[in-house]
Amino acid sequence: MATRRTFLKLGVAAGLAPALAPSIASAQGAGRVVVVGGGFGGATAARTLKALEPRLAVTLVEPNATYTACPFSNNVLANLRSIDRQQFGYDGVTKAGVTVAQRSATAIDASAKSVTLSDGSTLAYDRLVLSPGIDFDWNAIPGYGEAAAQIMPHAWKAGAQTVLLRQQLQSMDDGGVVVIAAPANPYRCPPGPYERASLIAYWLKIWKPKSKLLILDSKDAFSKQRLFQNAWAQLYPGMIDWVPLSKGGKVTSVDPSTLTLVTDFGRHKAAVANVIPPQKAGAIAHQAGVADRTGWCPVEPVAFESTLQPGIHVLGDAAIMGAMPKSAFAANAQAKVCAAAIVDLLAGRKPQDPILINTCYSLVAADYGISVAGVYRPDKGVLADVPGAGGVSPLEVVGGFRGQEALYASSWFRTITAEVYG
Amino acid sequence: MRLMVLPALAGLFLLAGAAEAAEPPPGASSCTGCHAPMKVADTVIPRIAGRKASDIVQFMREYRSGAWPSSVMGRIAKGFDDAQINAIAAWFAAQPE
Ligand SMILES: Cc1cc2nc3c(=O)[nH]c(=O)nc-3n(C[C@H](O)[C@H](O)[C@H](O)COP(=O)(O)OP(=O)(O)OC[C@H]3O[C@@H](n4cnc5c(N)ncnc54)[C@H](O)[C@@H]3O)c2cc1C
Ligand code: HEC
Repeated sequence: MATRRTFLKLGVAAGLAPALAPSIASAQGAGRVVVVGGGFGGATAARTLKALEPRLAVTLVEPNATYTACPFSNNVLANLRSIDRQQFGYDGVTKAGVTVAQRSATAIDASAKSVTLSDGSTLAYDRLVLSPGIDFDWNAIPGYGEAAAQIMPHAWKAGAQTVLLRQQLQSMDDGGVVVIAAPANPYRCPPGPYERASLIAYWLKIWKPKSKLLILDSKDAFSKQRLFQNAWAQLYPGMIDWVPLSKGGKVTSVDPSTLTLVTDFGRHKAAVANVIPPQKAGAIAHQAGVADRTGWCPVEPVAFESTLQPGIHVLGDAAIMGAMPKSAFAANAQAKVCAAAIVDLLAGRKPQDPILINTCYSLVAADYGISVAGVYRPDKGVLADVPGAGGVSPLEVVGGFRGQEALYASSWFRTITAEVYG
Repeated sequence: MRLMVLPALAGLFLLAGAAEAAEPPPGASSCTGCHAPMKVADTVIPRIAGRKASDIVQFMREYRSGAWPSSVMGRIAKGFDDAQINAIAAWFAAQPE
């Protein structure tokens, strides 16, 4: 049972009796959670914290007034959606009782438990949640830096880059080659490059049917591979060529001035080049000292607290989540678990061992959906697959199964964005 | 000091009560990524909040065994044992419809 001391702390944490104990509240400052990053992980964590424990003071730090979601942004490339349907404001988050600071976090002092914002102000916290997403490793591919990304877009952070890639596709001549350079694991959204290839092929088949698509891959296998390749053979015969690592798929340098991608096996001239570079946790995670030499953030599997800096929880793409992939679904699921665990920790209770689900839907055509699912639980210090659960959509199906999964995919997107931003 | 401890004590029970009532059992918070806790326009994924616990349990068991066909629920239900399913079903049944 809790001691008298924890009782005191708890009362303050809960924001109770402020009139009676204002000095203790400000001196101990318990019950303040700062969340950095208003994406799927951070915005979910902030809202869930407030829903589970309304007396917590929760501040969400996010520089952008609008969030542009990546899931379904490949549909934007294929003209199946407009970019504004990917965009969400923070009114819903504010209405849920979260204080939104429209700033970026520039420094974190883990020992002083404070976050410095871009306007120079500081926020003190009892628990900090980081969900900053990814940054690109601009040194990984010679020739591919931030300037080159204006010519060979990555479109791996949705927004202006997505629109740029769509414009390039629309203005290219029929008969050109679209090249997608896919990174090695781990990276944001494992099936994403192949969904992108599928939907670009879907669009090319209608509007530029003499064109081809080449995937230069830095790995030898990919998520939902047989489902994708079967569907490509059926829907886009002869259009998509996938070059794995072992056949010279790894892009070793690029020349933006000639739209050339170089591999150990040759040079590929593109009409449109989409280079998805290797990634790492968002810069603030490195600054905070929660990233390790892999570039990502190790966490324990119950509350996702950093194993490098106590009091800092890391969610979503930035974190090393064992068997869980880097997806919006996963970031949202982790955030809900983390929020409940933080409420427990602040109240002096032990968080329960969680179970998490991930599901990544991909569209191969507008009305053709496939999925991969997994169920995870802590095992030997990491999140591991629950044996026997999960897996991919069946290879053989009858009737409207793929159409049904495409409908479930868009239903999922509407549901999750309503939960996070609605 | 004593004066301050008393309301703090009361706060503990309020806090514990509120949090325990609200905190979902393991696994349940992942279901809401697809099964909206609130009304969502234009979704074809069925609502489960406020449904009878026994119905949710039955669905989950049949998805798990394959007796009831599904696109994704079979793969998900295989990750849960009976006790976990019962707890999740009771929690969803207690949520507003
Ligand atoms: C093309 C594509 C398709 C995808 N499709 C799917 C899909 O179908 N399903 C799926 O589940 N996932 C999908 N994903 C993956 C998904 O987008 C990510 O996994 C998800 O966004 C991760 O959430 P996050 O919270 O970790 O990071 P993000 O969503 O990237 O959010 C990070 C936020 O932190 C903010 N931030 C960063 N640094 C700071 C700082 N210093 N201070 C304050 N704020 C900061 C950023 O502005 C951003 O808003 C896709 C990704 C891509 C690229
Ligand atoms: C990836 C999205 C997704 C997740 C996550 C998910 N479901 Fe489902 N659920 C579906 C879909 C889609 C259906 C329709 C059946 C199918 O095709 O799988 C469904 C159907 C159901 C049904 C039947 C409802 C009815 O009236 O037919 C129940 C009960 C259910 N799910 C419970 C759960 C529970 C409990 C969880 C969490 C442990 C969960 N679901 C997680 C997508 C999801």
